Amino acid sequence: MIAAESPEFHSPGPADFEFPPIFGEGTFFTKPMLVVVLGTIAVGAFFYFAARRATVVPGKLQFAAESFYGFVRNQIAMDAIGREGSKYVPYLVTLFGFLVALNISGIIPILQLPATSKIGIPLGLAAISWIIFNYVGIRRQGFGGYFKNMMFPPGVPKALYPLLAPLEFLSTVVFRPATLTLRLTFNMFAGHLVLLLTILGGEYLITEYQGVVGYAAGSVSLLFSIVLTFFEGFIQILQAYVFTLLTAIYIGGALTHEH
Amino acid sequence: MSAEEHDDLRRRDHANAWDASGLIVSGIAVWGGVGWLVSEWLDNTIFVMLGLLVGMGAALYLVWVRYGKS
Repeated sequence: MIAAESPEFHSPGPADFEFPPIFGEGTFFTKPMLVVVLGTIAVGAFFYFAARRATVVPGKLQFAAESFYGFVRNQIAMDAIGREGSKYVPYLVTLFGFLVALNISGIIPILQLPATSKIGIPLGLAAISWIIFNYVGIRRQGFGGYFKNMMFPPGVPKALYPLLAPLEFLSTVVFRPATLTLRLTFNMFAGHLVLLLTILGGEYLITEYQGVVGYAAGSVSLLFSIVLTFFEGFIQILQAYVFTLLTAIYIGGALTHEH
Repeated sequence: MSAEEHDDLRRRDHANAWDASGLIVSGIAVWGGVGWLVSEWLDNTIFVMLGLLVGMGAALYLVWVRYGKS
């Protein structure tokens, strides 16, 4: 094929995140939903089989699950919440596991889509975290006390309260869930786009553009996409960690107010 | 303060850095937004600028109050 006849390259964009229903027109089940279902099964199966025949000297699978649990317990729950943290470890472990599975699906062959790049999934998880930390705070400090401690922190001159109270309120009630959602969604969205661009661009250069320039630039692009895939894996785990850590911080903050 | 409580606070400190950035964003958004509304109402632009600066200042002050004194 000569270069002049080659089809034009369409750079990947938001349209690449729209999927048709898997089972044909009129059904609702799309690829992101499939990734969610598979991710849920994977996380469930991992912990089920790890705990089913738990022994004092753990096998490989049990050791992996225990390390995962221990990491969330010690590095997230205890760090951000303190001694009361153990109560919230089950939720945090589930959240972290679910997020890792749905993020890492972006670099798993065949799936190759981080389900968390669809805003509905981070939004739902942020809503659950939002309900939990507000509920915990209201139960600990009372409804009035929770909002009073939130909006009128001690150690601040009274004259500044009109300036700070709306800021504190909106930052806790609106911006916390919003930033949780957007940070995760667009990290996954942008990462997926970059991978699509380097892989599809490299493929196009080699198979369609051809010539010395096409082969050289295409090879570089494809090699770079391999490096980026590992980098994406790191980002995906980091973002799952950040989401979980912030949830723990919000719970910790709701449990204690500064004296 | 018991040793355990002190340990809790110390370990929570580095985690709090993540929350501080959100506080600054909301400060700019809240008072910048109010400034923008006032500017729309009075048909000028000075209040947007004022709002953004006040919001940033207020947020930085809050970060300092919450996490800076210890």
